[in-house]
Amino acid sequence: MIYKVSYVVSGGDYPGGIKNETERPQVGAVVQIGRMKFEVTEVHEIIPPRDDFQFLHATVKPLPTPEKQSSG
Amino acid sequence: MELVNILASVPLCSGLSPDQLASLTAISHRETYNTDATIFSQNHPGDKMYIITRGQVEIRLNDGSGGNHATLYLGQGQLFGEMALLDQGTRSASVVAVEDGTEVYAIRASDFLALCQQDTAIGFIVMRNMALDLSFKLRHKNLDPSASI
Repeated sequence: MIYKVSYVVSGGDYPGGIKNETERPQVGAVVQIGRMKFEVTEVHEIIPPRDDFQFLHATVKPLPTPEKQSSG
Repeated sequence: MELVNILASVPLCSGLSPDQLASLTAISHRETYNTDATIFSQNHPGDKMYIITRGQVEIRLNDGSGGNHATLYLGQGQLFGEMALLDQGTRSASVVAVEDGTEVYAIRASDFLALCQQDTAIGFIVMRNMALDLSFKLRHKNLDPSASI
């Protein structure tokens, strides 16, 4: 099975993407969309499966950026 | 992996027989791009559609004041450039690679239409899949306020 996934970034500040995955995305998984990485927060079927393909919609949120370390 | 196997995993080719996949493979030409390389530019004439087999591309739109912004990212298995192939208009957006070694297979409109006329079953299946792809992109756009296709 191949999963065609529509990824939408919550908040709308960053464009989402569409790509094929060999495994169904799971909540909590990390995915790279374009130049950034995101965490999957929700996954559901967008249209019924056809042939060897499932069609999914996933909502993602940006990964938190590491806080700068204080040097003293 | 051989191209015929790669295309078998692409929704555009869903439903094609091995012989039909081989015919489509014969008119597909591999191109590779590194990060920030432009594959084509908005408003330029277009005579090819592309299937992404590795990496990701960024769809960019002019904002009318000389700048442009990303509206969508497409990854493995996705199709782009099909609008100019269908309506023979200019490119509706620019497309830029966002990963080194981004690999696409290009299909010329003239080769594709000749194949569809030669084997109308291929034409029906691929055109149906292309319509489904555009439908999926519209559904994505409905869910993503920042998207454009």
